[in-house]
Amino acid sequence: MRTLRHALVLARKDLLIERRTRRVMSVVGVMGVLVVAVLALGLGPAARGGIGGASVGGVGGVGGVAILWTAYLFSAVLCFERTMALERRDQAMAGLLLTPSDRGAIFLGKLLTNLALVGVMAAVVTPVGVVLFGLDLSPAPVGFAAIMALSLVGVAALGTLFSAVVSGQRGGESGLLGLVLLPLCLPLVLVSTQTVMATFAAGGMPERTVPLLVSFDVLFVAMGWAGFVLLCE
Amino acid sequence: MDAGTRIFGPVYWALTGLALAATAGMALFYAPVEATMGPIQKIFYLHMPAAINTFVAAGVVFAASLAYVWNRSTRADALADAAARVTVLSCSIVLVTGMWWARTAWGHWWSWSPRLTFSLILWLLFVVYIALRPAIESQQRRALVCAVYGIIAFLDVPLVYLSVKLLPDIHPSEITLDPAMRHTLLAGIVAFTALCAGLIRVSYAARVRGGVGPVPPPSPPQTPPPNPPRGMVGA
Repeated sequence: MRTLRHALVLARKDLLIERRTRRVMSVVGVMGVLVVAVLALGLGPAARGGIGGASVGGVGGVGGVAILWTAYLFSAVLCFERTMALERRDQAMAGLLLTPSDRGAIFLGKLLTNLALVGVMAAVVTPVGVVLFGLDLSPAPVGFAAIMALSLVGVAALGTLFSAVVSGQRGGESGLLGLVLLPLCLPLVLVSTQTVMATFAAGGMPERTVPLLVSFDVLFVAMGWAGFVLLCE
Repeated sequence: MDAGTRIFGPVYWALTGLALAATAGMALFYAPVEATMGPIQKIFYLHMPAAINTFVAAGVVFAASLAYVWNRSTRADALADAAARVTVLSCSIVLVTGMWWARTAWGHWWSWSPRLTFSLILWLLFVVYIALRPAIESQQRRALVCAVYGIIAFLDVPLVYLSVKLLPDIHPSEITLDPAMRHTLLAGIVAFTALCAGLIRVSYAARVRGGVGPVPPPSPPQTPPPNPPRGMVGA
């Protein structure tokens, strides 16, 4: 309970700073929209299956979800780097580690902050993807949101862990986190995409894949927590 | 001379070479040509042993990473590094032979079958492990980050396996083997395992010798002499 309280205090502090400075969201939100826009421009009319789209089949369905995931992941990497960079400035992390709260609370606090920011980013990017790629979420809008939220927990857990380690490395501030995070998130993205498609097809959450998504979340949060505590030693 | 150097000496390599040559000979002249797939099936005697050794080497990375986290032994870090390289090598062989087989049997180089996808993700996970090492300057930090990454990557493997099961599969799940085929496969597994063990040992020894992985123990702090000679103070 004490750990959770400390984590909430830390997350509140981070989100308050973010509300006042907009240091993370100003970049992360724009990055997500840019990724979707670049892909939409690259695909041209085929993006919506419009003029010439019939020949390539458009990208709707799995393609649209995959494009959203591309935008989510690139923006999330940037988000994790920036939230941790805040703690690296003026040795703020050292100050945090000196507080009486345990390392797990710091991880949990950072995870909550990252989750909130990535959630806002997804809320900004998804409508842009829906408009530009003609992605139809109407078969299961709540299911789509729930699956994406569940998937982003795992991504945020791994991102929080590795951002604490690699974002401060000289000569490799950008890119290194993406290098580590993207392959570890690949299976999660695969399951998430398949779950979304199954939900759209059946109109309800599939029984087979949702437990798998939850397993990813449990494993990644547990490993993130243990790894963070270990790396802070 | 330590036990490792004695075991993995010239005799070991000569025997491994012989075993590999014997497997190649058995695959070409002893094992019969498979009726449905034809001569391309002989890739199986390399494909399957490589797949088995990919898991074994990945398991060594996991065990060595756990050992590093437990006792901060630089030798464990060197072993994890060496095993990761062999994992990538074995997995590359699995992917290349698998694609060659797919091209002949199914008419295209790649299909998103669960096992192919699984192998690709496994390969990517360990390629990143190798790419990560030189990107982190501090040796202790590098060892710790790679140990954590190695553990998570390996724990990811069962979930990757389950997740790719969601994809439609055209990969053969079981093949009936003639006794001669079984003997050849067994010889291939023994030869390839010996090769992988030897490669891990060579790579590990190079890291320990060259100081690529391990960090020398910190030297004790040097205390200044109690009465420094006149003229040296403030020099």
